[in-house]
Amino acid sequence: MATQYNIPVGAQHIALLEPLHFKFTTENEKIMKAEANVGYVHRGIEQACCSKFKFRQVSFVVGRVCGLCSISHTTCYSQVAEKLMQLDISKKAKYLRMLVIELDRIHSHLLCLSHVAENSGFEALFMKTMAYREFSMELLEAVCGNRIQYDFSIVGGVTRDLRPDVAKMVLEKLKIFKPQLDELVDIYSNNYTLGLKNKGVGVIAKDDVYRLSAVGPFARAAGIPIDVRNETEDTLPWKEAGFEVVTETTGDVYARNLVRLKELYVSMRIIENVINGLPEGDLAVDFKGFPSGEAINRLEAPRGELFYYAKGNKTQILERLKIKAPTFSNVAAMVHGFHDNEYASAPAIIGSYDPCLSCTSR
Amino acid sequence: MKSFFDAIGNLFKKPVTTEFPVQQTYIPDDYRGLIVFEESLCIWCRKCEMACPPGAIVFSQDIETGKQEYHYSPYVCIYCKECVRACPAPGALLQSSEPGHPGLKEENLNNGWNKLFDESLESRAAYAAEKKRKQAEQKAATDKAKAEAAAEAAKQNPEQPIE
Amino acid sequence: MNRITTVQVCDATKLIYIQKLITKTKIMTRIETSFETLKNDVAAFYKMDKHHFITMNGVDLGNDEIEYQWFFCDYEYPCAETMFVAKANANVMVPSIREVVEPAWVAEAELSDLMGVEIENADKGFMLDVDSDEAPLRKKKK
Repeated sequence: MATQYNIPVGAQHIALLEPLHFKFTTENEKIMKAEANVGYVHRGIEQACCSKFKFRQVSFVVGRVCGLCSISHTTCYSQVAEKLMQLDISKKAKYLRMLVIELDRIHSHLLCLSHVAENSGFEALFMKTMAYREFSMELLEAVCGNRIQYDFSIVGGVTRDLRPDVAKMVLEKLKIFKPQLDELVDIYSNNYTLGLKNKGVGVIAKDDVYRLSAVGPFARAAGIPIDVRNETEDTLPWKEAGFEVVTETTGDVYARNLVRLKELYVSMRIIENVINGLPEGDLAVDFKGFPSGEAINRLEAPRGELFYYAKGNKTQILERLKIKAPTFSNVAAMVHGFHDNEYASAPAIIGSYDPCLSCTSR
Repeated sequence: MKSFFDAIGNLFKKPVTTEFPVQQTYIPDDYRGLIVFEESLCIWCRKCEMACPPGAIVFSQDIETGKQEYHYSPYVCIYCKECVRACPAPGALLQSSEPGHPGLKEENLNNGWNKLFDESLESRAAYAAEKKRKQAEQKAATDKAKAEAAAEAAKQNPEQPIE
Repeated sequence: MNRITTVQVCDATKLIYIQKLITKTKIMTRIETSFETLKNDVAAFYKMDKHHFITMNGVDLGNDEIEYQWFFCDYEYPCAETMFVAKANANVMVPSIREVVEPAWVAEAELSDLMGVEIENADKGFMLDVDSDEAPLRKKKK
């Protein structure tokens, strides 16, 4: 009977992106059990939105929950508020929202892929992916005015228009990026030493995804085609702009890398269709009145499904706002995925989960 | 094997870094910058103060004359442009492309701005209370004058012959 | 915009019949239940490969009364949402649906910390530290 050791991978660790605490129980370097603790970045945003800020200002507060998926939070809140007030926004505003959501997805997926490469030991690939990611930050600065906090969606529409010279710049830079993306797909799928660290590691099978309700690229890498963009087109016309679901079958770290890379091709196609077919219309709608009743809304952030619930009581301040981030749904599956793996591959597995703790413990 | 030849080829290529500040990075010309105020076009409705999410604009009022004064903190501002959209007078508030400057310790940013904010709200409440008091005084004075005039008229009335 | 309406049901057998009728258009179903029948209702409704559990929520209605909500969503097109609602006093212990729906332990741990209520077998200290404010989401008495 071998002795069991408890090893903490603490809140501060050189391999972690975000402050997340795991406690592993290991026996002969294989992980038997894991426990998680989140809540290091809890700032009380839900309580602030229901006591201090008016409902039109909440979209700016909520955009600061997370730095990587800021546009997903503002757009999801704007849609919930529009459902409470029963507003219809113009088609041009919907297309512009889709454009910025897809540009944001490109920069977020490239960041996650570079961290997986770094945690697997391949530091040169980390640098190369980050160098290829820089063009998307320049495009976001040209479209929205800022590199990280966009403040782009408000209740009733969007804030800035797309100028023709900016549209031309977007199309030119995407043309330069496409052969670079082909090169990255080649390296991530065919490199021998990277494959040794990534294939068969951190496996989550299809039954486990159904049992543990995982969302996002996690579930798509195991073969289940769940994606909020694949549903009815109540709020944003994704299928009209050329969206398709991407799935893989094996469910390990290698499959998650490939799912994220192939989604970038779909994103590039959506951006080109949106720019070439942008309709005419207003940017934002004027409205009066206060929200009342309750409503829910879901949206596909780069990490999975984002969920908002709002309740109004006919005053300027909302009664209750509930935010559920995609990493929050994945915590149960994350704890299960470490089972029966070597302790030395724990950093690569954590990198491929793409945890965003600012969203989880808001 | 291919990555081995790629690695040797990379020794002879130009590095990817931009040599900042010798070589400038990309700056768009409609960058979101500081807010500019035109006093001559303002109608003093205070809608920008109600719309600002972090509370970076505040108006204070003089207790004697009732004239309002505009205060803006570029360190609390998030450059979201809500005040420009809420303003009903076109041209009074504009957003420039000048980026914000870093703050210095001598300017007493946090505590100084909080104190100014509270004092401005108090000055407006004090002016409103003073105006109400003056109106109540005036009303009391006019009531008294009316009562005296009615008393005079009543006194003169019994001297007239009754028909 | 009016494709989202709510339907009230209060019986487990009626619930399964109405699910079949309405999965053609996207309608959110709101089902009123109580603490005694909660586990049976959820067990009758939830199938692992047809629905996924979104989250659990609580709304403070004032006077120490709290409304609890459980959200589920279909996998099949058009992916309609379902909501279970139960009202109770803040001092009553909430039953846990962990045996039926396994990933619910995360949401229950968060809600018991933030609302200051007792939930069966929930972990304490998952979201808040020892020295933070107690129950920040409840309305403060003046």
